[in-house]
Amino acid sequence: MIARGAALLLLAFLTLPTIVVIAASFNPTAILSFPPDGLSLRWYENALTYPQFRRAAVNTVIVTAASVAVALPIGTAAALALVRYPVPAPGAWNALLLSPLVIPGVAAGLGLLILAARLGLLANRSVLVVAHVVLVLPFVIRSVMVSVANLDPMMERAAASLGARPWRVFWRVTLPLLRPGLFAAVLFAVIVSANEFVVSLFISTRVTEILPVAMFTYVVNYTDPTMAALSTLFIAATFVVVFVADRLLRLATMFQIEDPR
Amino acid sequence: MLEFIPGSLRMGGFTDRNFRSILTPQYLRYIWDTIVLSAATTVLTLVASYPLAYALARTRSPARRSLLLILTLAPFFTGAIVRTYAWMLVLGNSFIRWPVKLLFEPAGVLIGLVHFSMPAMILILGAAISHINPAYERAAASLGARPARVFWRVTFPLSMPGMVSGSLVIFAWTFSAFATPELLGGGRVKMIANVVKDLALDSFNWPGSAAFAVVALALTLALLAVVGRALGRTPA
Amino acid sequence: MMGKSVVALEAISKSYGTVRALDGVDLTVYEGELLALLGPSGCGKTSTLNVISGFVDPDHGRVLLDGEDVTHQPVWRRGLGVVFQSYALFPHMTVAENVAFGLRERGVPRREIDGRVAEALKLVRLPAAGSMRPSHLSGGMQQRVALARALVIRPRVLLLDEPLAALDRKLREEMREELREIQRAVGITSVFVTHDQHEALGLSDRIAVMHAGRIEQLGLPREVYEQPASRFVADFIGASSVLEGVAVDARTVTLPGGERIELRWPRALTPDSLVRLLIRPERVELGGSGPNTVSARVANVTFLGDHSEVRLELGGGVRLLATVRGGVVIGPGDRIRVTLPPDAFLESQ
Repeated sequence: MIARGAALLLLAFLTLPTIVVIAASFNPTAILSFPPDGLSLRWYENALTYPQFRRAAVNTVIVTAASVAVALPIGTAAALALVRYPVPAPGAWNALLLSPLVIPGVAAGLGLLILAARLGLLANRSVLVVAHVVLVLPFVIRSVMVSVANLDPMMERAAASLGARPWRVFWRVTLPLLRPGLFAAVLFAVIVSANEFVVSLFISTRVTEILPVAMFTYVVNYTDPTMAALSTLFIAATFVVVFVADRLLRLATMFQIEDPR
Repeated sequence: MLEFIPGSLRMGGFTDRNFRSILTPQYLRYIWDTIVLSAATTVLTLVASYPLAYALARTRSPARRSLLLILTLAPFFTGAIVRTYAWMLVLGNSFIRWPVKLLFEPAGVLIGLVHFSMPAMILILGAAISHINPAYERAAASLGARPARVFWRVTFPLSMPGMVSGSLVIFAWTFSAFATPELLGGGRVKMIANVVKDLALDSFNWPGSAAFAVVALALTLALLAVVGRALGRTPA
Repeated sequence: MMGKSVVALEAISKSYGTVRALDGVDLTVYEGELLALLGPSGCGKTSTLNVISGFVDPDHGRVLLDGEDVTHQPVWRRGLGVVFQSYALFPHMTVAENVAFGLRERGVPRREIDGRVAEALKLVRLPAAGSMRPSHLSGGMQQRVALARALVIRPRVLLLDEPLAALDRKLREEMREELREIQRAVGITSVFVTHDQHEALGLSDRIAVMHAGRIEQLGLPREVYEQPASRFVADFIGASSVLEGVAVDARTVTLPGGERIELRWPRALTPDSLVRLLIRPERVELGGSGPNTVSARVANVTFLGDHSEVRLELGGGVRLLATVRGGVVIGPGDRIRVTLPPDAFLESQ
């Protein structure tokens, strides 16, 4: 009973900011008050028409699409290799796979900044793409690895015994059977890349910056609820994506949370 | 995953002048603050996440589990800026008059960091708890232990590996946190990552920034090694 | 049973690290026959199958199919049909698509594919299963689909890995007969792997008993059962009691309890040598008279429906197992007479 109450309280804690943001986004004036004096969509209008946001949104789409497209094949190959072929130090690999979550983004960002400056690539989106690929790769690999682990190697042997050459086996049997993992990989990759902030902060310019960076600049400089509106849109989009993902992929299994009993 | 970090290689050659400049009390203070803040965040996150993780792992209805999971994951996925901004709104005095000033204070940053870390901790702990064989709990109950006792004497100890690995991950993650202290700290609360950014992007002191970043990286790598070993040992 | 050699293995060896999985295997499989590779886990039978199919490359030796050296030929060129222990039906395809897989890979025109798939499904008695998904089929049905998939491509050899292991007892016996019928109807040369001696005895034309990477005996089922070539084969096939004694003269052995046993063996015994005798439980006669009738104490009786196992003790504590059809009236503690026919003994090294 106590546990149930505590859980609910904490759940409220988790969702409180979201609710506040959504409420704020509808506030008619720049000065926030609760309860709000009315409802207004002006901040949404502002958010959607602000040129820097628009440019940043386009950049986000380009960078995210490019990095996912690059990370997916690399990650799939890596996942297949890691599961199929015994690697000398599995503990080390595991840690490596987790590392982007843990390595200071600032360190990576700084390194890339200096490197890109030396190579004169700063004004180019390709730096961003490279950075995103690296950051997204672990998620792709993990997601695909789950599917690879569940893939019965006898399937591929069966296909080969029936006369299929190796790349035919891959195309007709392996890849279709990896579909759930690939789907999850794309999902995670898109979400991680679209929200990537720290590293991108270091290596973007106003021309190439992606949405989260643009949002950051805005928040630092202005205090009106335009950000709230934009955030609400973000939150709504994320909710939809996560909901769909759970429907299609049973997220609990993906995070290895098993059913009781 | 390891980027090319130029380290102390500077225009002019190797020098440790930059590292020496870090060891001033000012900067050391930042490092200490970061450690304290990360530790506090980890502990609070652990405490706050445990009930939710338990619920996630032990709920019978898949619908409820899905709901919990979505509510847990959604903040995770909305991105650092959005979440931090949301806290700015909550902690600022526009919505709720707080008895104590929270925004732009370490307390506010702490709250933001805990909120940031909870989803990850919930997932790690949830997975760990769900892997505890319910047979152990049933055995304890059959031997006469009431639910609370079963929890404290059986479930809790068995979830220790999950707690350890979760804590290590959260600590390491928080150690290099950037957005939360940047926005919620308002320039008054600085963690290592903020200092790196200040030096690099504001002062254009790339060498100094790099030196500081190297320190941060070295500390984090040390933690990574511990995490790797802990995770390798325990099936979290 | 001579004929064309379809599969030939010459001096095949394969090691995994320090483990010698195959240690000089020579084998010829003739056209149209059904050959069983029988042995316990780790004896090398699955490795042998994998060498034939090409999933494993031997360290030494040659593999020939229809006289052609295919040792280094990749799997997809060998033109074999394989039925896996787990069936390995592609879950993302329907039954019909599964069966059609090999035909598609061979570029067979669409219309012909449909016809041949239907034919194959009819052969395995699943004519209506085409549009179903493998996950909706029972184990027995899945196995038939796997068989159809392997046969439809008209392979030169059919390889089966523990085909009946995953089925329950009743189904296993039914499938055994069906498998036999299909194999005969199609006339396809087949090799299958099993650890179950009843399966091997009941299903094959010849049995290769394997142990520690070598073929210990290769012959007809009856030969292998009644004339085991080595102690291992004698121990592995059928159940036997082991009696040890000392030879008194060329044809007689004395057991520890003093009983004298007359043998009818081709070789003469060396007096005073140690002799190990095996006798199959079904040859032990309860009661009876004649040579080798001894006194025994009943230690235990187990009724198993169609037969009973009687555990006996001879003089000196020597244990003996007898099987008898139906039930028996004797019980533990009884003293009975038991006859051990002189020609029923097998030698054991």
